[in-house]
Amino acid sequence: MIPLENFLILSGILFAIGLYGVMARRSAILILMSVELMLAGVSINFVAFATYLDGDAFSGMVFALFVITVAAAEVGLALGIVLRLFRERRTAYVDAADSLKW
Amino acid sequence: MAPILLVLIALLVGDQITGPELVFWLAFTVIVLGALGTVLIPNIVHAALALIAALLGVAGIYVLLAAEFIALVQVMVYGGGVVLLIIFGLMMTNAQDDPLVTDGSQKPFALLVALLLGGVFVAAALDAQWGAETVSVIPFRDFGARLFRDFMVPVIIVGVLLDIALTGGIVNARPPLHADAESEGGAG
Repeated sequence: MIPLENFLILSGILFAIGLYGVMARRSAILILMSVELMLAGVSINFVAFATYLDGDAFSGMVFALFVITVAAAEVGLALGIVLRLFRERRTAYVDAADSLKW
Repeated sequence: MAPILLVLIALLVGDQITGPELVFWLAFTVIVLGALGTVLIPNIVHAALALIAALLGVAGIYVLLAAEFIALVQVMVYGGGVVLLIIFGLMMTNAQDDPLVTDGSQKPFALLVALLLGGVFVAAALDAQWGAETVSVIPFRDFGARLFRDFMVPVIIVGVLLDIALTGGIVNARPPLHADAESEGGAG
Protein backbone atom coordinates (compact mmCIF):
# COMPACT_ATOMS: atom_id res chain seq x y z
CA MET A 1 0.00 0.00 0.00
CA ILE A 2 1.25 3.44 -0.88
CA PRO A 3 1.79 5.53 2.26
CA LEU A 4 -0.36 8.60 2.76
CA GLU A 5 2.75 10.79 2.92
CA ASN A 6 3.47 10.20 -0.77
CA PHE A 7 0.21 11.84 -1.78
CA LEU A 8 0.71 14.71 0.65
CA ILE A 9 4.21 15.39 -0.69
CA LEU A 10 2.93 15.25 -4.28
CA SER A 11 0.19 17.76 -3.49
CA GLY A 12 2.65 20.02 -1.67
CA ILE A 13 5.02 20.01 -4.65
CA LEU A 14 2.14 20.71 -7.04
CA PHE A 15 0.91 23.60 -4.89
CA ALA A 16 4.41 25.12 -4.66
CA ILE A 17 4.93 24.89 -8.44
CA GLY A 18 1.56 26.55 -9.00
CA LEU A 19 2.45 29.29 -6.53
CA TYR A 20 5.70 29.92 -8.39
CA GLY A 21 3.73 30.25 -11.62
CA VAL A 22 1.25 32.68 -10.08
CA MET A 23 4.06 34.91 -8.85
CA ALA A 24 6.47 34.66 -11.79
CA ARG A 25 4.17 34.82 -14.83
CA ARG A 26 2.91 38.04 -16.36
CA SER A 27 0.23 36.78 -18.75
CA ALA A 28 -3.18 36.61 -17.04
CA ILE A 29 -4.03 33.32 -18.74
CA LEU A 30 -0.81 31.68 -17.56
CA ILE A 31 -1.57 32.87 -14.03
CA LEU A 32 -5.00 31.26 -14.36
CA MET A 33 -3.38 27.99 -15.45
CA SER A 34 -1.06 28.10 -12.43
CA VAL A 35 -4.07 28.62 -10.15
CA GLU A 36 -5.57 25.46 -11.65
CA LEU A 37 -2.41 23.59 -10.64
CA MET A 38 -2.74 24.85 -7.07
CA LEU A 39 -6.40 23.77 -6.93
CA ALA A 40 -5.48 20.33 -8.26
CA GLY A 41 -2.92 19.97 -5.47
CA VAL A 42 -5.53 20.86 -2.85
CA SER A 43 -8.01 18.36 -4.33
CA ILE A 44 -5.43 15.57 -4.17
CA ASN A 45 -5.05 16.35 -0.47
CA PHE A 46 -8.81 16.21 0.13
CA VAL A 47 -9.25 12.88 -1.65
CA ALA A 48 -6.15 11.34 -0.05
CA PHE A 49 -7.35 12.22 3.46
CA ALA A 50 -10.87 11.01 2.65
CA THR A 51 -9.65 7.64 1.42
CA TYR A 52 -6.97 7.01 4.04
CA LEU A 53 -8.18 8.55 7.28
CA ASP A 54 -11.95 9.04 7.07
CA GLY A 55 -13.75 5.76 7.61
CA ASP A 56 -16.64 7.15 5.62
CA ALA A 57 -14.57 8.56 2.71
CA PHE A 58 -17.36 10.85 1.61
CA SER A 59 -16.87 14.43 2.80
CA GLY A 60 -13.43 14.83 1.25
CA MET A 61 -14.63 13.63 -2.13
CA VAL A 62 -17.56 16.06 -2.03
CA PHE A 63 -15.09 18.84 -1.27
CA ALA A 64 -12.95 17.79 -4.25
CA LEU A 65 -16.06 17.77 -6.44
CA PHE A 66 -17.00 21.29 -5.31
CA VAL A 67 -13.44 22.52 -5.85
CA ILE A 68 -13.62 21.28 -9.45
CA THR A 69 -17.02 22.93 -9.97
CA VAL A 70 -15.96 26.27 -8.53
CA ALA A 71 -12.74 26.14 -10.57
CA ALA A 72 -14.80 25.72 -13.74
CA ALA A 73 -16.94 28.74 -12.82
CA GLU A 74 -13.83 30.73 -11.98
CA VAL A 75 -12.18 29.95 -15.32
CA GLY A 76 -15.28 31.01 -17.25
CA LEU A 77 -15.57 34.29 -15.39
CA ALA A 78 -11.83 35.05 -15.43
CA LEU A 79 -11.57 34.46 -19.18
CA GLY A 80 -14.46 36.89 -19.71
CA ILE A 81 -12.53 39.48 -17.73
CA VAL A 82 -9.31 38.75 -19.64
CA LEU A 83 -11.12 39.17 -22.97
CA ARG A 84 -12.56 42.47 -21.78
CA LEU A 85 -9.12 43.61 -20.63
CA PHE A 86 -7.60 42.61 -23.95
CA ARG A 87 -10.25 44.52 -25.91
CA GLU A 88 -9.72 47.71 -23.93
CA ARG A 89 -5.93 47.56 -23.44
CA ARG A 90 -4.69 45.28 -26.29
CA THR A 91 -2.71 43.26 -23.77
CA ALA A 92 -3.22 40.27 -21.49
CA TYR A 93 -0.34 41.10 -19.16
CA VAL A 94 -1.44 41.79 -15.61
CA ASP A 95 1.24 44.44 -15.03
CA ALA A 96 -0.17 46.45 -17.94
CA ALA A 97 -3.55 46.74 -16.20
CA ASP A 98 -2.51 49.40 -13.70
CA SER A 99 -4.90 52.25 -14.39
CA LEU A 100 -5.17 52.98 -10.66
CA LYS A 101 -1.58 54.25 -11.13
CA TRP A 102 -2.85 57.10 -13.35
CA MET B 1 9.23 9.89 -19.69
CA ALA B 2 10.34 6.71 -21.46
CA PRO B 3 13.52 6.09 -19.44
CA ILE B 4 11.59 6.58 -16.20
CA LEU B 5 8.94 4.11 -17.38
CA LEU B 6 11.66 1.59 -18.26
CA VAL B 7 13.29 1.99 -14.85
CA LEU B 8 9.91 1.55 -13.13
CA ILE B 9 9.08 -1.57 -15.15
CA ALA B 10 12.50 -3.01 -14.33
CA LEU B 11 11.84 -2.40 -10.64
CA LEU B 12 8.41 -4.02 -10.99
CA VAL B 13 9.83 -7.11 -12.66
CA GLY B 14 12.51 -7.28 -10.00
CA ASP B 15 9.80 -7.20 -7.28
CA GLN B 16 11.16 -3.98 -5.84
CA ILE B 17 7.86 -2.13 -6.23
CA THR B 18 4.25 -3.22 -6.61
CA GLY B 19 1.86 -2.38 -9.44
CA PRO B 20 0.08 0.48 -7.62
CA GLU B 21 3.44 2.00 -6.73
CA LEU B 22 4.48 1.90 -10.38
CA VAL B 23 1.28 3.74 -11.31
CA PHE B 24 1.88 6.25 -8.52
CA TRP B 25 5.43 7.09 -9.54
CA LEU B 26 4.45 7.26 -13.19
CA ALA B 27 1.63 9.70 -12.38
CA PHE B 28 4.00 11.58 -10.05
CA THR B 29 6.47 12.05 -12.91
CA VAL B 30 3.78 13.14 -15.34
CA ILE B 31 2.28 15.62 -12.86
CA VAL B 32 5.55 17.20 -11.76
CA LEU B 33 6.95 17.47 -15.30
CA GLY B 34 3.64 18.81 -16.61
CA ALA B 35 3.38 21.35 -13.81
CA LEU B 36 6.98 22.50 -14.33
CA GLY B 37 6.26 22.80 -18.05
CA THR B 38 3.17 24.87 -17.33
CA VAL B 39 5.06 27.42 -15.28
CA LEU B 40 8.38 27.42 -17.19
CA ILE B 41 7.72 27.04 -20.94
CA PRO B 42 7.75 30.43 -22.68
CA ASN B 43 5.47 29.34 -25.53
CA ILE B 44 1.97 29.82 -24.15
CA VAL B 45 0.31 27.07 -26.24
CA HIS B 46 2.91 24.51 -25.21
CA ALA B 47 2.34 25.54 -21.59
CA ALA B 48 -1.38 24.81 -22.04
CA LEU B 49 -0.54 21.34 -23.42
CA ALA B 50 1.70 20.69 -20.40
CA LEU B 51 -1.21 21.71 -18.18
CA ILE B 52 -3.39 19.03 -19.83
CA ALA B 53 -0.73 16.41 -19.06
CA ALA B 54 -0.53 17.50 -15.42
CA LEU B 55 -4.31 17.47 -14.95
CA LEU B 56 -4.71 14.03 -16.54
CA GLY B 57 -1.95 12.77 -14.25
CA VAL B 58 -4.00 14.08 -11.33
CA ALA B 59 -6.94 12.03 -12.64
CA GLY B 60 -4.65 8.97 -12.49
CA ILE B 61 -3.89 9.77 -8.84
CA TYR B 62 -7.64 9.90 -8.12
CA VAL B 63 -8.11 6.46 -9.65
CA LEU B 64 -5.28 5.21 -7.43
CA LEU B 65 -7.09 6.69 -4.42
CA ALA B 66 -10.26 4.71 -5.33
CA ALA B 67 -12.17 7.89 -6.20
CA GLU B 68 -13.27 6.87 -9.69
CA PHE B 69 -16.08 9.40 -9.87
CA ILE B 70 -13.76 12.31 -9.06
CA ALA B 71 -11.31 10.98 -11.66
CA LEU B 72 -14.03 10.92 -14.33
CA VAL B 73 -15.17 14.43 -13.41
CA GLN B 74 -11.55 15.58 -13.50
CA VAL B 75 -11.04 14.21 -17.01
CA MET B 76 -14.32 15.63 -18.31
CA VAL B 77 -14.29 19.04 -16.64
CA TYR B 78 -10.55 19.80 -16.68
CA GLY B 79 -9.26 17.77 -19.61
CA GLY B 80 -12.27 18.79 -21.66
CA GLY B 81 -13.93 22.00 -20.56
CA VAL B 82 -11.43 24.10 -18.65
CA VAL B 83 -8.47 23.50 -20.94
CA LEU B 84 -10.67 24.12 -23.99
CA LEU B 85 -11.79 27.44 -22.49
CA ILE B 86 -8.19 28.39 -21.73
CA ILE B 87 -7.05 27.58 -25.27
CA PHE B 88 -9.93 29.63 -26.69
CA GLY B 89 -8.84 32.46 -24.41
CA LEU B 90 -5.31 32.15 -25.81
CA MET B 91 -6.63 32.25 -29.35
CA MET B 92 -8.59 35.42 -28.71
CA THR B 93 -5.94 37.32 -26.78
CA ASN B 94 -2.62 36.37 -28.37
CA ALA B 95 -3.60 35.73 -31.97
CA GLN B 96 -1.76 38.63 -33.55
CA ASP B 97 1.06 38.61 -31.03
CA ASP B 98 4.00 36.33 -30.74
CA PRO B 99 2.93 33.25 -28.75
CA LEU B 100 6.06 33.66 -26.66
CA VAL B 101 5.52 35.52 -23.41
CA THR B 102 8.11 37.02 -21.11
CA ASP B 103 7.96 36.57 -17.39
CA GLY B 104 8.34 39.29 -14.85
CA SER B 105 11.54 40.34 -13.13
CA GLN B 106 10.23 38.92 -9.84
CA LYS B 107 11.29 35.38 -10.82
CA PRO B 108 14.05 34.85 -8.20
CA PHE B 109 11.78 36.05 -5.43
CA ALA B 110 8.96 33.81 -6.64
CA LEU B 111 11.35 30.84 -6.79
CA LEU B 112 12.52 31.51 -3.23
CA VAL B 113 8.98 31.72 -1.85
CA ALA B 114 7.84 28.61 -3.72
CA LEU B 115 10.86 26.61 -2.53
CA LEU B 116 10.34 27.70 1.07
CA LEU B 117 6.62 26.90 1.01
CA GLY B 118 7.17 23.55 -0.72
CA GLY B 119 9.88 22.70 1.80
CA VAL B 120 7.51 23.49 4.67
CA PHE B 121 4.79 21.30 3.13
CA VAL B 122 7.09 18.34 2.55
CA ALA B 123 8.69 18.60 5.99
CA ALA B 124 5.28 18.88 7.67
CA ALA B 125 3.88 15.90 5.75
CA LEU B 126 6.87 13.78 6.71
CA ASP B 127 6.79 14.89 10.32
CA ALA B 128 3.08 14.58 11.10
CA GLN B 129 1.60 11.58 12.86
CA TRP B 130 -1.69 10.47 11.31
CA GLY B 131 -4.17 8.04 12.78
CA ALA B 132 -4.54 4.46 11.67
CA GLU B 133 -4.81 4.27 7.91
CA THR B 134 -8.04 2.71 6.73
CA VAL B 135 -8.68 2.46 3.02
CA SER B 136 -12.38 3.03 2.49
CA VAL B 137 -14.20 3.16 -0.81
CA ILE B 138 -17.58 4.60 -1.73
CA PRO B 139 -19.41 2.91 -4.61
CA PHE B 140 -20.72 5.03 -7.47
CA ARG B 141 -24.37 4.51 -6.60
CA ASP B 142 -23.97 5.49 -2.95
CA PHE B 143 -21.93 8.52 -3.91
CA GLY B 144 -24.70 10.00 -6.06
CA ALA B 145 -27.46 9.15 -3.59
CA ARG B 146 -25.61 10.61 -0.62
CA LEU B 147 -24.44 13.66 -2.55
CA PHE B 148 -28.03 14.68 -3.26
CA ARG B 149 -29.32 13.64 0.16
CA ASP B 150 -26.69 14.94 2.61
CA PHE B 151 -25.30 17.82 0.55
CA MET B 152 -28.41 19.04 -1.23
CA VAL B 153 -28.13 22.70 -0.15
CA PRO B 154 -24.44 23.02 -1.12
CA VAL B 155 -25.22 21.43 -4.49
CA ILE B 156 -27.96 24.00 -5.11
CA ILE B 157 -25.70 26.84 -3.98
CA VAL B 158 -22.91 25.66 -6.28
CA GLY B 159 -25.40 25.43 -9.14
CA VAL B 160 -26.54 29.01 -8.56
CA LEU B 161 -22.90 30.12 -8.27
CA LEU B 162 -22.04 28.46 -11.59
CA ASP B 163 -25.03 30.12 -13.24
CA ILE B 164 -24.12 33.57 -11.91
CA ALA B 165 -20.43 33.19 -12.79
CA LEU B 166 -21.03 32.06 -16.36
CA THR B 167 -23.69 34.72 -16.95
CA GLY B 168 -21.24 37.30 -15.63
CA GLY B 169 -18.56 35.91 -17.93
CA ILE B 170 -20.81 36.25 -20.96
CA VAL B 171 -21.88 39.78 -20.01
CA ASN B 172 -18.24 40.75 -19.51
CA ALA B 173 -16.91 39.19 -22.70
CA ARG B 174 -19.70 40.27 -25.08
CA PRO B 175 -18.67 42.95 -27.57
CA PRO B 176 -20.18 46.34 -26.68
CA LEU B 177 -23.48 47.12 -28.36
CA HIS B 178 -23.86 50.30 -30.43
CA ALA B 179 -25.85 52.13 -27.78
CA ASP B 180 -23.31 51.16 -25.13
CA ALA B 181 -20.40 52.30 -27.26
CA GLU B 182 -22.00 55.68 -27.88
CA SER B 183 -22.87 56.27 -24.25
CA GLU B 184 -19.39 55.15 -23.16
CA GLY B 185 -17.83 57.45 -25.73
CA GLY B 186 -20.03 60.31 -24.56
CA ALA B 187 -19.23 59.70 -20.92
CA GLY B 188 -15.53 59.23 -21.53
